[in-house]
Amino acid sequence: MIWHITKRELYDNLNSLRFALATVLLLALMLTNAIIHLREHPARTQAYHDVTAESVKKLEARSNSLYRLAAEGPGDLHKTPSLLRFCAEGDEAFLPTHAGGSNFFPGIANVRPIWRMIYPQETPHLFNIRPDFTTLDWAFIVGYVLSFIGILFTFDSISGELERGTLRLTLANPIPRHIVLVGKFLGAFISVNIPFAVAVLMNLLLISTSDAVQLNAEAWGRLGILYGIVVLYACLFIALGLLISAAVRESGVSLVVLLLIWVSFVIFIPNTLASIGSRTSVPIAYMEFWTQRMQLADEARETYRDKYGDSQTPPPVHILGEYVTTEAEEYERFNEAYLKQQVEQGKRARAITRISPTAIVQRLFESFAGTGFERHLQFIENVQRYAREYREFVVDTDRADPESLHVIGIQEGMSQKPVSPEAIPKFKDTLSLSRDFNAAVMDLFLLVLFLVVLLAGAFLAFVRIEV
Amino acid sequence: MLKTLIRRELLNNFMTFRFAAVLLITLLLVVANTVVLIQDYEQRLESYNDAVRTHYQELRAAKTYSTMAILVDRAPNPLSIFNVGLDKRLGNLVGIYHGFMPTLWNAEMHGTDNPFIAFFSSIDIVFVFEVILSLMGLIFAYDAIAGERERGTLRLVLAQPVRRVHILVAKYISAMACLLVPLILSLLFALLLLTRSIPLSTADFLRIAGIVFTSFAYLSLFYLIGLLISVATRRTGTALMLAMFVWGFLILVYPNLIRATVNPGGDIQARTKIVENRIQQILDEYERERQKFLEKEGIAGEASEFSKALGLHSYAFVHPVTLMSYVENISLISEIHPEFEKYVPSGKRYYDFVEPLAMRTVEKTWHIRKQALDEIYVRQAATDRVLLKLSPVGVYDSATQAWAGTDLEGVRDFFHAARRYRKAVIDYLYAKEAFSSREWFIADKAAVDWSTLPQFTFERSNVGTNAKRALPDLFLLLISNLVLFMAIVLIFIKSEV
Repeated sequence: MIWHITKRELYDNLNSLRFALATVLLLALMLTNAIIHLREHPARTQAYHDVTAESVKKLEARSNSLYRLAAEGPGDLHKTPSLLRFCAEGDEAFLPTHAGGSNFFPGIANVRPIWRMIYPQETPHLFNIRPDFTTLDWAFIVGYVLSFIGILFTFDSISGELERGTLRLTLANPIPRHIVLVGKFLGAFISVNIPFAVAVLMNLLLISTSDAVQLNAEAWGRLGILYGIVVLYACLFIALGLLISAAVRESGVSLVVLLLIWVSFVIFIPNTLASIGSRTSVPIAYMEFWTQRMQLADEARETYRDKYGDSQTPPPVHILGEYVTTEAEEYERFNEAYLKQQVEQGKRARAITRISPTAIVQRLFESFAGTGFERHLQFIENVQRYAREYREFVVDTDRADPESLHVIGIQEGMSQKPVSPEAIPKFKDTLSLSRDFNAAVMDLFLLVLFLVVLLAGAFLAFVRIEV
Repeated sequence: MLKTLIRRELLNNFMTFRFAAVLLITLLLVVANTVVLIQDYEQRLESYNDAVRTHYQELRAAKTYSTMAILVDRAPNPLSIFNVGLDKRLGNLVGIYHGFMPTLWNAEMHGTDNPFIAFFSSIDIVFVFEVILSLMGLIFAYDAIAGERERGTLRLVLAQPVRRVHILVAKYISAMACLLVPLILSLLFALLLLTRSIPLSTADFLRIAGIVFTSFAYLSLFYLIGLLISVATRRTGTALMLAMFVWGFLILVYPNLIRATVNPGGDIQARTKIVENRIQQILDEYERERQKFLEKEGIAGEASEFSKALGLHSYAFVHPVTLMSYVENISLISEIHPEFEKYVPSGKRYYDFVEPLAMRTVEKTWHIRKQALDEIYVRQAATDRVLLKLSPVGVYDSATQAWAGTDLEGVRDFFHAARRYRKAVIDYLYAKEAFSSREWFIADKAAVDWSTLPQFTFERSNVGTNAKRALPDLFLLLISNLVLFMAIVLIFIKSEV
């Protein structure tokens, strides 16, 4: 019986103007998305390979002396561009693309400071004078357009039949109401999914057949998960449409209500609430942070000068070693504390937007596409792990040299022997699907919860409706 | 007769659920966003004031001319609450130095924003209007004619001695009267909140009036689009679907589609490279002349000692992306060792020669660079904006940005002012004969007195300029309104009831 109702709904929808328009719109969007990705991705990967190669070359140039490695550090570490950037750009345009480990800091007389990890603040966005509208990723197509299509397919599915009187006819048959509702739900679901699936297939066909982009098995797995999320999200808006359509008895009113809900959920809540949420945890002003950092360095220098500044003979090597390592450590710790404050603000801003399913889907897309904020946090973690590894490598190699005094960071105090370039640990910016999954579980759960609530609401509203 | 028609339509419109819902949601969104935006503006203002204070202190700390660090800051625009445009995104801090030309491509940020929240917070009042007003216009219009046709009331009305144009005019006037209520009311609330915390000048109110008028034209355009659909279709269902998809396309999809028109990156890189090489040649020539001078002065042989005596730090480079050419000569000492005193006359002659040379070099590179920046960055952005104007959103956005002064021109005004200020600083240095003075590089006799240095001031362009920049777009909106209305009249007159 369900199938009958579903079939009827499907025929109704497939012959309608909205189905045609939705198909055209989604196809156009998805094709443009693929074209943009095919054009931009190779350039992006090329640029990434160039800078990493240069970085590695510079690093290997330092391998003629272990001291140089210890003092000058690993250099710039770059974030690997995601293969699936066409699914979600996230805030990639605003985020720094690298972290740097270098040593261009003023030292004290005759003591060169050693490297420390720096997290750049400036973004590649700073002199972008182009207009604002620049997202055309899956997250946008799904979050904005598919949800919009979802409500356009369902706003009149109950109220319209009520107005036309056909609902009475249907219910005059011995069919339980919930079967009718499920039938309608399935009908709308299939008819929304047909254009989307076609558009996605065309998109992936273009992307996967091109030589410019190679998707690996993991990427396909991630795409599968993303499609699952799309299905959930589409269900959610269809359920919302049915709920409002059943609760409001006029199609016109139902559409206005749905549009207003849509506008708030999709456009305003994610942005306005994020702005409000970000105020609950504001990092100290950058100027202040900068001054504090300078003060810290000055103080360290002063203490050092007070102790050893006057004497003509330089202090023992281990004192110098301690000075340079503590200075770098303090500096790095301070930087990381500031970064942590910023991350906290970013997290707060994102946490509060979870009351909008669109924001949740945006986050999920970013997580699984390997872009955006969560991805950047992973990058920072990778950088920190690598920095530890690199320091351990220097210490271990130095320990193996019997002639060295084992004072890291001072030329006289440590091994100056060349190191095999292959032995130096290289930065690998890895992504782990299981980690992404763990981060996303909460959001997935919330999405399902939303869906269940809306479905239950639609059921109740429909059961109580008077025909 | 027209009056009766208008009264009927007004009643029809005001007593609907959609009117109440739209009013409520517009008020809610505008008020909530205004509160957020005001806080944001105040924060930016505070960071601006901090920056100005710090930069003033930094300037005072410089003891010699050659180590001067003049940094000028761009204040946040209070009208960015209406349309933030490029006000928040582009750099707001730039250095003033005779050895380089300040442009927006060299600007930095004072009080760097947290990059992790930059993704959000771009919802200004105009954005709320862009989305809501257009939706409102379409929702009020889609069934205006098609609905009456379906219900048969159109036939009744036309049976009376009424001119068809009058019916349209009545519908237009009453719907606009109705739609203006949420627009005006929410703006009043926003202004109420605004004037409580941010002082606005008369000019600002005129600019806001311009924004309101533009919003009105935008709203009317969408109402007319809806009316056109309603006149052209025979069923409300079809009209509604068409209207919704037109909205989705114009507001959501089209502005994002222009991303597809980007020039390929390789082209830009090649062009930048050519210009970079040309600038590098000029810089090389500068370096040669500098070396020639050192040789002529007889300090080239012992150049290392001369440089060490002065702590001379000299370099010239061109930035590969922004094409900035930077020529610097500074003495990293403020007190000279007595045994090096003999180099002071040479030092004076050196700086007197090299600094004007550096200035001329930079001005020579500026001619090339300015053109290149226009070709590489500005032209592309301008093309994007023209394409964007095929959708009313683009026209509305750019017109309101022009009124608010947060458009590209408005931001570039600041950098024009910065370049003018650079000129004023150079004139001041010439007037003081600073280049050939001892204080240029040594501060032992007397530190530089910075109090007479001209101050940097930047006034936003006056309302006339804002209007001049906004008028083409405003006219475009008004003409589209007129054309649409004529089309509607023609179709309606010829249509069968």
